[in-house]
Amino acid sequence: MAETTARPLSLYVAGDAPARELIQRCVHCGFCLPTCPTYAVLGVEADSPRGRIRLMKDVWEGRIAPQNAAFERHVYQCLDCRACETACPSGVEYGKLVEAARSQVERTRPRGAVPRLVRWLAFDQLLPHPRRLALVARLTYLARDLGAAALLRLIGRRIRLAERLAGSLDLVPSGAPSAPQLPLVFPASGERRARVALFQGCIQRAAFGGTNAATARVLARNGIEVIVPEEQTCCGALHVHAGERASGRELAKRNIAAFERLGVDAIVINAAGCGANVKEYGWLLKDDPLWAERAARFAATVKDATEILGDMGLTSTPGRLEASVAYDEPCHLLHGQKISAQPKALLAQVPGLRIVPLAEADWCCGGAGIYNVTQPDLSQRLLHRKMEHVRAAAPDILVTANPGCLMQLASGVRASGMRTEVLHLIDVLDRAYAAAS
Amino acid sequence: MTVAAEGIAAGLRGAELGQRLEELLGRDKVLWRPEELLLYEYDGAVDTARPDAVVLPSRTEDVAAVARFCSRHGVPIVPRGAGTGLSGGAIPVFGGVVLSFARMARILEIDVPGLRAVVQPGLINLHLSTAVAPYGLYFVPDPSSQKACTLGGNVAENSGGPHTLAYGVTTNHVTGLEVVLSDGTVVRLGGKALEGEGYDLVGAFVGSEGTLGIVTEITVKLTPLPEDKRTIMAAFPTMDQASETVSAIIGAGIVPAAIEMMDALAVEAVEAAVHAGYPLDAGGILLVEVDGVRDGLDEQRDRILEIVRAHGASTLRVARTALEREQLWAGRKGAFAAMGRLAPDYYVQDGVIPRTRLPAILRHVKDVGERYGLRIANVFHAGDGNLHPLVLFDSSDGEAELERVKEAGREILEACVDAGGSLTGEHGVGMEKNCYMTMQFAGSDLAAMRRVKQAWDPLGLANPGKVFPTPGRCKEYDLRRARA
Amino acid sequence: MSAVAAALRPSDATACAAALADATRERRAVRVRGAGTKSYLGELLPTDLVLETGALSGVVDHVPADLTITVGAGTALAEVRRALGAHGQVLPLDPPHGDAATIGGVVAANSNGFGRLRYGGVRDLLIGTVVALADGTVARGGGRVVKNVAGYDLNKLLIGSLGTLGVLSEATFKVLPRPEAHALAVVRCRGAGPAFAIADALLHTAVRPSALVVDATHGRWMVLVGAEGQRPQVERAIAETGRAAGGAGAATERADDAEELLAAARELPATAVDGALIRAALPLAAQRSFAESAMGLEAAVRCVVDAGSGIARVHLRGDEATVLRSADTLLAAAAVVGGSARVERRDASLRARLAAWSGARPGGEFLMRRLKEAFDPAGVLEPGRSVIG
Repeated sequence: MAETTARPLSLYVAGDAPARELIQRCVHCGFCLPTCPTYAVLGVEADSPRGRIRLMKDVWEGRIAPQNAAFERHVYQCLDCRACETACPSGVEYGKLVEAARSQVERTRPRGAVPRLVRWLAFDQLLPHPRRLALVARLTYLARDLGAAALLRLIGRRIRLAERLAGSLDLVPSGAPSAPQLPLVFPASGERRARVALFQGCIQRAAFGGTNAATARVLARNGIEVIVPEEQTCCGALHVHAGERASGRELAKRNIAAFERLGVDAIVINAAGCGANVKEYGWLLKDDPLWAERAARFAATVKDATEILGDMGLTSTPGRLEASVAYDEPCHLLHGQKISAQPKALLAQVPGLRIVPLAEADWCCGGAGIYNVTQPDLSQRLLHRKMEHVRAAAPDILVTANPGCLMQLASGVRASGMRTEVLHLIDVLDRAYAAAS
Repeated sequence: MTVAAEGIAAGLRGAELGQRLEELLGRDKVLWRPEELLLYEYDGAVDTARPDAVVLPSRTEDVAAVARFCSRHGVPIVPRGAGTGLSGGAIPVFGGVVLSFARMARILEIDVPGLRAVVQPGLINLHLSTAVAPYGLYFVPDPSSQKACTLGGNVAENSGGPHTLAYGVTTNHVTGLEVVLSDGTVVRLGGKALEGEGYDLVGAFVGSEGTLGIVTEITVKLTPLPEDKRTIMAAFPTMDQASETVSAIIGAGIVPAAIEMMDALAVEAVEAAVHAGYPLDAGGILLVEVDGVRDGLDEQRDRILEIVRAHGASTLRVARTALEREQLWAGRKGAFAAMGRLAPDYYVQDGVIPRTRLPAILRHVKDVGERYGLRIANVFHAGDGNLHPLVLFDSSDGEAELERVKEAGREILEACVDAGGSLTGEHGVGMEKNCYMTMQFAGSDLAAMRRVKQAWDPLGLANPGKVFPTPGRCKEYDLRRARA
Repeated sequence: MSAVAAALRPSDATACAAALADATRERRAVRVRGAGTKSYLGELLPTDLVLETGALSGVVDHVPADLTITVGAGTALAEVRRALGAHGQVLPLDPPHGDAATIGGVVAANSNGFGRLRYGGVRDLLIGTVVALADGTVARGGGRVVKNVAGYDLNKLLIGSLGTLGVLSEATFKVLPRPEAHALAVVRCRGAGPAFAIADALLHTAVRPSALVVDATHGRWMVLVGAEGQRPQVERAIAETGRAAGGAGAATERADDAEELLAAARELPATAVDGALIRAALPLAAQRSFAESAMGLEAAVRCVVDAGSGIARVHLRGDEATVLRSADTLLAAAAVVGGSARVERRDASLRARLAAWSGARPGGEFLMRRLKEAFDPAGVLEPGRSVIG
């Protein structure tokens, strides 16, 4: 296949172009359209998976340049939720395409000084550094508690960036951040069925460190020994989604190096977005002869926490929790990793939980990594749509399995004045086990 | 037509058209920049043409305003639903305005006692059935693209689907329409009653492919859901055995809700895509479904199984659960799109033949494939005799390859028509087969259809270049026919 | 009607078309006549030429395994039934005048019976036509295959056009294997409420009755339910009828004369020769109130509702003024509930004062006129017969 040798017409720059052989799988049947949240909201072909793939094809054929503003707009208005992949009978791997398209935008369309600075700060100086991130997390909590959002909104009447920052602050979870230092090993209770390494993530670690601890406890309780290597770093999902593939690759290599020599049975991730990304390290590094094979081998050992628990089965019966729960499926678990049965089965095993159906539980909440910061308007429209369904289902607990979703859903619940609690699935299990002992 | 075509060519075009429409309707409803228009030049098939502007109406008045404006300025109007069509129906052959109904997708009324629903044309087919399921009802026509295709598109194409064998196609399930004519007149035809006085304009409109006007509201029949179903998958060593089985089932006095057939190549693609559980070593497989009241279903199933066995089925599966049934159907419904697993492009034909000619025509299809050196997969409604040969190719091999593929398709269609059949059973004529209309219809037949066109769309601006042969584009084909 | 009308009996579509071309040139008003069973429809303006379809008859093609049959328009429905019966098949149409009516007449008048709920009506079963046009050409619509979307559906325009667009010479239908079993149930009710409650209940199940009729005279409301299909399906339908009847406080009866009752309901247009017969096409949800109001009218003697299809017929009888007043009320009522109505038949003495098409005008009437103009510019075909004149 002649994908990167670029036929004369192609307007892509070399490397990381949306792969031609993936594009060719699209027979433009349109089956993806009704599953695409942005198409549902905007009703424009360019904001559908089929339309975006066509745009990518048009760049190959020299009909549009990747630096065209429309190309950038539509490629970035995509949530990268990958619901279209689930719907696609031809097996188009859309996520890989859109991420490559974004990388083309980043490399062909120089950004202004301020956006460059923001990107550098976020992607290079913050996410890969757990301690800095933890500090920022504490600062943002402080800012929120001091009512900074109101102040920013006031300023926002003059400066749009401030309005955006105020919106971002609304996403900050209530309560204090928990980023506990985890012990190196959580020994298995009873017979040891497996030994795994816990991938802590960046945001997950800084804002939801408690969930990491809970993950280790729940796994250990079910005969799975957990080790927590310190050398790991951010998985790079946010970088890859934002077209920063080079940084994404560097982070991937650091993680591969940190984990591959541990000799564990699996690497367990409780953040769906990270899991989907890490499982694709093989694709990310496929053109790097030194790393391609290592990356593929590493990726094959990665499991979502609900996946490994669901597949191996619970050996310890959870305690009783009297509550109604609705499960909102994280896109990168359902569509990105095709994991749906296991988390539902786990919830069903908690005595006392009443599972209520949630309409469009397979739809993106608008969180989508940093989408709620980069595309606040669309994100809010999708969040409102989600909240309508949550209101109709009226669960005591809204369950998800990804930090981005958790923040988005929690902010939605707060804004609409509902009393529903939003929890990571593992935290629900951990709470049930706490109730048992 | 020629006069109209000249008028069309002389009309307002280009960015100015889009800007004028923007003034008329507001920026939010009009697209006209080149990079936006690129995305409205294709549908689910192979033909392309770029519009000069795209309008996204949110109400009937928007459509009427566009039609009025366009009629004054010689601009064609072309309706578009989800762009899943397979005959180029939504492609603006002569440019002009594409009206995308993505934002007119609401259910306006569900009349449970009256067994009707009133919907907007952009509503997705399956969404209607999902919405009325709590009342024990559904909308019968279920094109394989029903997860994506719209009711407006179904009306335009008179769409069918696997379950039309016993229950009819779209036209049998539509009782009322609101239509905007090409001069902007809004007219309401029919209603909730089964018929009205005078000519059956609803019946004339359904299947007219946007060439008589643009539908803006649809009243459809709702049908009580069958109590139960029995779904059988039978695999045969050869396609001949499978097609003889179809005739034997019908001959035994059974009219199943659906009888679908697939050949080995189709099974290969489908299994790669959805793992429906079809055996990969079969020459042909049948999917047979009976439904209705629970009583008697087991007897029907047993009779079908008996016939199927007698015809040498190598594998038999009866779905035991709703999930298993869905699985069996998922393979069939995703079959076209699954062709992406085998080749970058496919060209699908839609010819119909009398059911008894099935074995002969399938041999002909095979022969065409061999002669052209093209792989052809077959996925089709065997009970209706409605074929869907999928000619696999790679469009990046160039225009000449596409022409060769179309030639192969034409040979298949000629055989269908020669067998007493039709060019198209459910995909429509569109811009893809309009040159072939002379295969099936005499000059006087087409003249009668032109009178209908003239009565509804005297300006010739409603989706021009479709259904009827166009002098320019069809010249080559006419010459070849004259030589033959 | 002109007493000196000439008669022609063409033997094929071409001859028929030639006769029409002559008539067009000479501006001679043409009536088309099959068996003449429905000559009461519409207004009867002077006629110069009667075109009889009797020679356009016979089975043209029947391939039992394809479940289709092609016949000449002048063929009697009864003959088609016989031809199909020999192969264990049926054309599931049961219109009034079924013993004598020709296929052409059934199509032209869109004449349906009670089987429409289960099997569809003329518009659902007719898949191909050959028609002679006023300009002397012959056009084919549809074809001989059960699924066909090539070109416009000319068949639909011909159905119910009452000969005003062209003269049908040949028709192809979908046919079905003869049902294995059939049965009829009769439920007598105290009023419209229970009668329509039974009909509604059955309409919302999957049983699909082969007839679902509410037949009312003063003080008597009766539901007739037909079941066809495999034996277990038929038994189920009858059981379901019993359940629905029980729910409405009534009970099914074993009536030896059930077939006769159903035939009488079907043949109302044939038997209602005096007074006036109003025929309405209604939304299903409006049937009950329409029938109840109808039977409250002074002149109403009988109301037969095909409750599966929303077709209601009301026979009015009495002094002229009462009949006219009642007819007017019914025509208006049909329009009010979103349906339409016509005076299907009336006594000769009423013709002058009660127009056939005095109900609300149909939507898209201007399109109908344009179509008429396009197919019959000289206006020679069946003047006055249809709603657009």
